[in-house]
Amino acid sequence: MLGIKEIASYLPEKKISNYDKKEKFDIDDDFIKNKIGVEYHTVKEKDEKASDLCVKAFENLQKKSKLNKEDIDCVIVVTQNPDYNIPHTSAIVHGKLELSQKCACFDISLGCSGYIYGLSNILAFMQSNGLQNGLLFTADPYSDIIDKEDKNTDLIFGDGATVTYISQNPKYTPIDFSFGTNGQAYQEILCDKYLYMNGRAVFNFTATTIPKHIQKLLTKHHLEDKDIDRYILHQGSKYIVDTIRKRLKVDEAKVPFDMLQYGNTVSSAVPMVLEKELHKEYKKMLLSAYGIGLSWGSTILEKTQIQE
Amino acid sequence: MQATVENIKEIIAKADVLGDAEDMQSNVPLSEQGIDSLDVVNVYLLIEEEFDIKIPDEDLKQVSTIDDIVVYVNNKLGS
Repeated sequence: MLGIKEIASYLPEKKISNYDKKEKFDIDDDFIKNKIGVEYHTVKEKDEKASDLCVKAFENLQKKSKLNKEDIDCVIVVTQNPDYNIPHTSAIVHGKLELSQKCACFDISLGCSGYIYGLSNILAFMQSNGLQNGLLFTADPYSDIIDKEDKNTDLIFGDGATVTYISQNPKYTPIDFSFGTNGQAYQEILCDKYLYMNGRAVFNFTATTIPKHIQKLLTKHHLEDKDIDRYILHQGSKYIVDTIRKRLKVDEAKVPFDMLQYGNTVSSAVPMVLEKELHKEYKKMLLSAYGIGLSWGSTILEKTQIQE
Repeated sequence: MQATVENIKEIIAKADVLGDAEDMQSNVPLSEQGIDSLDVVNVYLLIEEEFDIKIPDEDLKQVSTIDDIVVYVNNKLGS
C-alpha cells in the first residue's frame, strides 16, 4: 500500500522581523503575534529558485530517510512560482538531483490547496502506473512577488519547500479526499506583477466554506471530533486557523499552529506541520488546505498498521 | 428581525474581540474602540450571517459605528 513514508522541509536561514514593520503598517505586538501569527517570515536568496528550495528539502529528506535516488520513479512539484514558464520545475529538480531517466515528472499549478491535490495526484498516478517511490515537492517562493508596501501580503508570506516521500509501508495513508473550487472569486488572490489579496473575501471564504467542508467529510465517514487526533489546517494566518477551529468547535490542543517563526509558506504550510506530527502515535489526522482559486481540499489520514 | 444596538453588541461579543462589548459606545467607530482590521471583518461576517444580508466592500464606510450598522442593516432588511 502506498502512502506517506516521510516528510522533510527546508526553510531559508534569512528571516525578516515583522516587529520592524510596526510603524510602517501601524500595527502592534498583539496584532503580530496573536492575529496574523507571524513574527518572522523567511526569505530565500534573490538568485534562488523554487527548484533550489526543493533540492534543499530533498537533502534534508536524505538525512532522515533511507532512500536510493535510483529508485525514485515519480516526481511532482507543486508551485505557482516555477523557475521558468518553460520547462516544468519538476524536470529541473530531476536534473539537479540526477534522478533516473525512468522517472515520471510533472508540475501541479496550485497555491495553498496544492498539497492536498498533490497528495491525491501522486498516489493515484503511482498506483495506476505501478510506480513505487515518489517525491511530492511543494515550493512557492513568494518573496519575488510581494509588494513590500502592501500590508495585506508583506507581513504574512514566507519562503520554504517540503518533500513528501511516497512509498510502500507508509506511516499514514489517506482514506479519502474532498475538493472544491469557487472560480467566480478567482480575482480575490491574484498575481499579475505583484500579489494582490482581498483579505476580507479570503477570510469570509475560509470562515464559511471550510468548516462545513471539513464537517461534511467527517460525516461521510461517520467520524466525530473524538475520532480525529489532529486537525492540520493551512497556516494562512493565526486568525484564520483560530476562526476555523472555533467554528468547528475543536479543542485548541488538537489544531497545531506553527507559522510564527516562518510565515505562510503556501502549499508547503500543511506538510511543514505534518512533518512534526508524523512520528507521533495518532490514529487519524485531518488535513485541510484552502486559498488561491478559490480552491480547497481536505483528506483524512489513517495510521498504517504495517510498519517496517 | 430588526437590528438594535443591543443585538449588534451581542454579535460583537460573539466575535470574541473585546473584553466587554457591553461597554462599547454606539456612536464611536469600531476601529477606535480596540477592534482591529481583522476583528472588524469577522464582525461584519457575523452580522451578514445573523441577518442574512451582504455588506459589499463599497458599503464598508457606511458601517463604521454600531449606530451606523443598525441603520444600515435595518435599511437592508426593509428594502
